[in-house]
Amino acid sequence: MDQNLQFKQSSHLHPALSDPTTRRWSADKLIGRWLNTNRETQGLAEFVIEQDGDRFNVSAVGVGTDGPIDWPRTRAKPLANLEEEAGQRAPALAATFDLGFMKAEIQIRVNKGVLVIVLFITFLDDSGRSNYVNREFFYRPD
Amino acid sequence: MQFAQICDRVEVNDGTGRPLDLSAFPGKWINSNPDTNGIARLVISESGGKLLVQVLAIGPDGLIDWGTTDLNLFAATPLSRIGAGFIGVYDFGFAETRLQGSIVKGLLVLAQFHRFKDGSRRVDYFVREYFAMTHGRY
Repeated sequence: MDQNLQFKQSSHLHPALSDPTTRRWSADKLIGRWLNTNRETQGLAEFVIEQDGDRFNVSAVGVGTDGPIDWPRTRAKPLANLEEEAGQRAPALAATFDLGFMKAEIQIRVNKGVLVIVLFITFLDDSGRSNYVNREFFYRPD
Repeated sequence: MQFAQICDRVEVNDGTGRPLDLSAFPGKWINSNPDTNGIARLVISESGGKLLVQVLAIGPDGLIDWGTTDLNLFAATPLSRIGAGFIGVYDFGFAETRLQGSIVKGLLVLAQFHRFKDGSRRVDYFVREYFAMTHGRY
């Protein structure tokens, strides 16, 4: 690692960050269709992750009153997942769904075969609802 | 009221406009991992109804003070007025670090998104770290 690199913490100089193999995303553990582990969820029923080369797209299906609500397909940014416990080369993903009246900034990662999604939801419609954070867990149906 | 998941269809009444309860946040938060190469501690303070965070990170020659930045706050549900999470951003010029924190049973789970902007070809990375507040109660 070049010692002239700028940093704000020692992990900014982690050798893996400059290793080209780190950038070769092994996304098999992420790609596909995921279903909420909680069949009574009032949030997201389904989540889909697609890969096109180095690009990732995500989409979701929310539980609605009269059937499912499709969330728009959105670009997701891959990030190397340096968590020691991960022990896997699957990247984490960051994405923001913009639904006009609200946006959902989300983090996506796999932990031992479970897709973990943390959503930071911001309402933009002056409805008086609190912005909130929520966590959902998903499994692969196949 | 628009919603994209049914849990967001709620009846908002007397709580509208009431400020969030921020009491869970202010204090000194220490990394649970004494061997971290990332953030050693956070100092969260309240000022004028807003929260600020100061990050102190591990450097080769001691702690690196990132200075302070504002936090955007999040409750636990659309009807809750109790703060449960935050987002904050540090822009260092050569890199940007986005912090997403949530408090679970007194534990601050901090997701960090590090994005390099300096052409150094370092890969952007994600890491989570865990912090406990020093409270001196036990």
